[in-house]
Amino acid sequence: MRKLSLMAALLAGSAMSTPVLADGHLQIADEPLELTIQMNHRAYPIYEEDWPVEQQARAWTNIHLKDATVGANMRTDSENTGRTEALNLMLASGNIPDIVGSSRIKDFVNQFGPEGAFVPLNDLIAEHAPNIAAYYAERPDIAAAVKAADGQMYYIPYLPDGKYGRAYWLRTDWLDALGLEVPETVEDYENVLRAFKTQDPNGNGLDDEVPFFARQWPELIRLVTLWDGRAHGSDTYHDFLVEDGKIGHGYVGEGYREGIKNLARWYAEGLIDAEIFTRGSSARDFLLSENLGGSTHDWFASTSGYNSLSSEIDGFEFKAFLPPASPSGRRIEEHRRILVKPDGWAIGHTNEHQVETIKYFDFWFTEEGRRLANFGVEGQHYDMIDGKPIFKQEFLDAGPVNRSLYQVGSQLQGRGYFQDYNYEIQWSNEFALEGIALYDTGDYLIPDFLGVAFNADEQKVYDRTWSTIRDYMLERQQGWILGNGDVEADWDGYIAQLESLGWSELMGVMQTAYDRQYGG
Amino acid sequence: MADKNLPTDGRFTRLFDHFKREWQIYAMLLPTIVWFIVFLYKPMYGLQIAFKDYSIFRGVAGSPWIGIEHFQTLFGNDQFLRAVSNTIKISALNLLFGFPAPIILALMFNEILHATYKRTAQTIVYLPHFISSVIIAGIVITAFSPTLGIVNIILGWFGLDSIYFLTQPQWFRPIFVGTGIWQEAGFGSIVFLAAIAGVNPSLYESAVVDGANRWQMMWKITIPSILPTILIMLIIRIGNVMEVSFELVILLYQPATYETADVVNTWIYRQGLQSGQYDLAAAGGLFNAVVAFVLVMTANTLSRRFSRTSLW
Repeated sequence: MRKLSLMAALLAGSAMSTPVLADGHLQIADEPLELTIQMNHRAYPIYEEDWPVEQQARAWTNIHLKDATVGANMRTDSENTGRTEALNLMLASGNIPDIVGSSRIKDFVNQFGPEGAFVPLNDLIAEHAPNIAAYYAERPDIAAAVKAADGQMYYIPYLPDGKYGRAYWLRTDWLDALGLEVPETVEDYENVLRAFKTQDPNGNGLDDEVPFFARQWPELIRLVTLWDGRAHGSDTYHDFLVEDGKIGHGYVGEGYREGIKNLARWYAEGLIDAEIFTRGSSARDFLLSENLGGSTHDWFASTSGYNSLSSEIDGFEFKAFLPPASPSGRRIEEHRRILVKPDGWAIGHTNEHQVETIKYFDFWFTEEGRRLANFGVEGQHYDMIDGKPIFKQEFLDAGPVNRSLYQVGSQLQGRGYFQDYNYEIQWSNEFALEGIALYDTGDYLIPDFLGVAFNADEQKVYDRTWSTIRDYMLERQQGWILGNGDVEADWDGYIAQLESLGWSELMGVMQTAYDRQYGG
Repeated sequence: MADKNLPTDGRFTRLFDHFKREWQIYAMLLPTIVWFIVFLYKPMYGLQIAFKDYSIFRGVAGSPWIGIEHFQTLFGNDQFLRAVSNTIKISALNLLFGFPAPIILALMFNEILHATYKRTAQTIVYLPHFISSVIIAGIVITAFSPTLGIVNIILGWFGLDSIYFLTQPQWFRPIFVGTGIWQEAGFGSIVFLAAIAGVNPSLYESAVVDGANRWQMMWKITIPSILPTILIMLIIRIGNVMEVSFELVILLYQPATYETADVVNTWIYRQGLQSGQYDLAAAGGLFNAVVAFVLVMTANTLSRRFSRTSLW
């Protein structure tokens, strides 16, 4: 703690001064120390030594990271399997670099860490990483969430900041054209979608409007929350959920059954994109720019950007609206920014400089390190104005800001760091900020399931049952919505089939693991 | 047969002489042998993980043996059994409709007399073979789209309701098999065209003298002459019965169509690779290989017995 306050004092003094601190208080090694790193992400396939952020970190800490990435794989899919494959390939090659950073690293290190592939971090953090330790002292829930079944931490996570992720969106100019109000309840919402379908709001004389659409079809399933059901327990689709310390799953709930029944009705009526399951990731781009799409559930930042279409489509306005109330009057937004991602970095078992490495990890949790990870390099990408990092205008103008940040080596999710939401506010457009302010007027978010770590026996049960159960759930789910079967009539058989696939056994190990991890 | 005048080891001496004399030919064979060893025989060492609790970190040798547990898991899993059944059904349809298609195409090309027309037609039917499966899937998804797809537009002309084909389990197999034929029939016909080109022209000349028409010549000369080729291709095809082109399945299927579309290889992909259960995936793969081996042995034996044509 003494070290922390010293740092704070130094910072206060230097915040307005020259960009590069020359006093060396961040220095970790006396001589330049080289460490190898594996880092693979959909936006940056390898670790680049000439990233300005890496060079600044090198100058401050005297630790040089050298890329040693195996199996770089930029494939993107909803499961992010490309990253897992690269990690598996690295492990199979027999050479684990000093540092391994990746998205989807949590399950990987929590499985292979206890087998000896990665270094347990609890003692290293307690002895050498005051800033990380201070963070975990404040957030014991997150400390619990990252641990493996043996109680050890094997990775330092990427910690997103900010509350909101996705929201409900609507063509408000279509509402105005049809003389409708912003929907407050699910019934209103249905009427609005029906009006979009039948009253030709785009005015081209054709029945071509697509009232509800989604880039990822599981977002359609999320609409069961409008009938008090639950879909995805975290930002991973089809994930388990936690309520009052009990593990459950949305797809066995009464509200889910009710929701699916209604969504099937909506689908049959044409209120939902007929091609919802096959249209894929370009759905939003295509349907909005062709003036066809009416409503969706998607991210604040990227979706608000489509309002620039108003230069091509007269009056185009796509705004966030509050989650419509369910028949029982509940309004929830199921999606939120998760508190801790399964992304981050870990120390390979052959690393001979474990103390320096954990100090280096800790560097990114210091004020300078965190700013470097979030905003890039002072003087190059941002300036300190009134003690706050403000992006340079030319940096904001140089194209998508997220991409620019990746390109200079900041906001890397294969790095363990604590995001600062201020980085995003600076380039969120007015529609996003307006929507966020709207969602801030109430309490719509619900807690996320932060995951559990299994021991070897539990892992076996999970491996044997979960993929099969999940496949079966999704198969029935799509079938019901498409009208291949009736959810009400099939429900008892569905529950019985889940049971025969090992549902109780699976929930048993989930609960055991959850209780162990979160002390429930 | 060993010569009675030579000592008992004469067979080996002769073998040695043979190598000495023909070594250039064996040298040319060498790269292929090396390829087989490196890419097909050495990986067989890894097959043992089907009987182990495999951990990537511990490695093949370091993982503990667990016997046939993975096979018990496989055969206790309804979805795996369904995938086996789907694989066989799709392959049977492929064999029934997909195998004759290139033969018929080759016979038809053979009857075209206009050279330019023939070449153009051949080029057009060969083309789809060279298009990647991803593009093929994109074309299929677009063609069968319920709103903008050409198929539903045509159905609309006849007053029929549009069908969301790719989410209807009963439509998956026809679409998949049809796509396969469209993609591969043209290219597959090359082998048969080559066989037809090898038929002795004097047979046709004498048939003309005997007053045979074209139809009779096709049935009495062309088909019997290329029958050995057809049988060899059939045996190879049967050996690949378990190898439904799974990348195309992955690109076209949905949870809604798993019922008819999920084949062994896609199941292995989801369970084994996406979930990281390599040992279980290896067990599934081994099962596939054993079935294929039995099928190809059976087909070869039957073919040898009834037509004296066989792969070995």
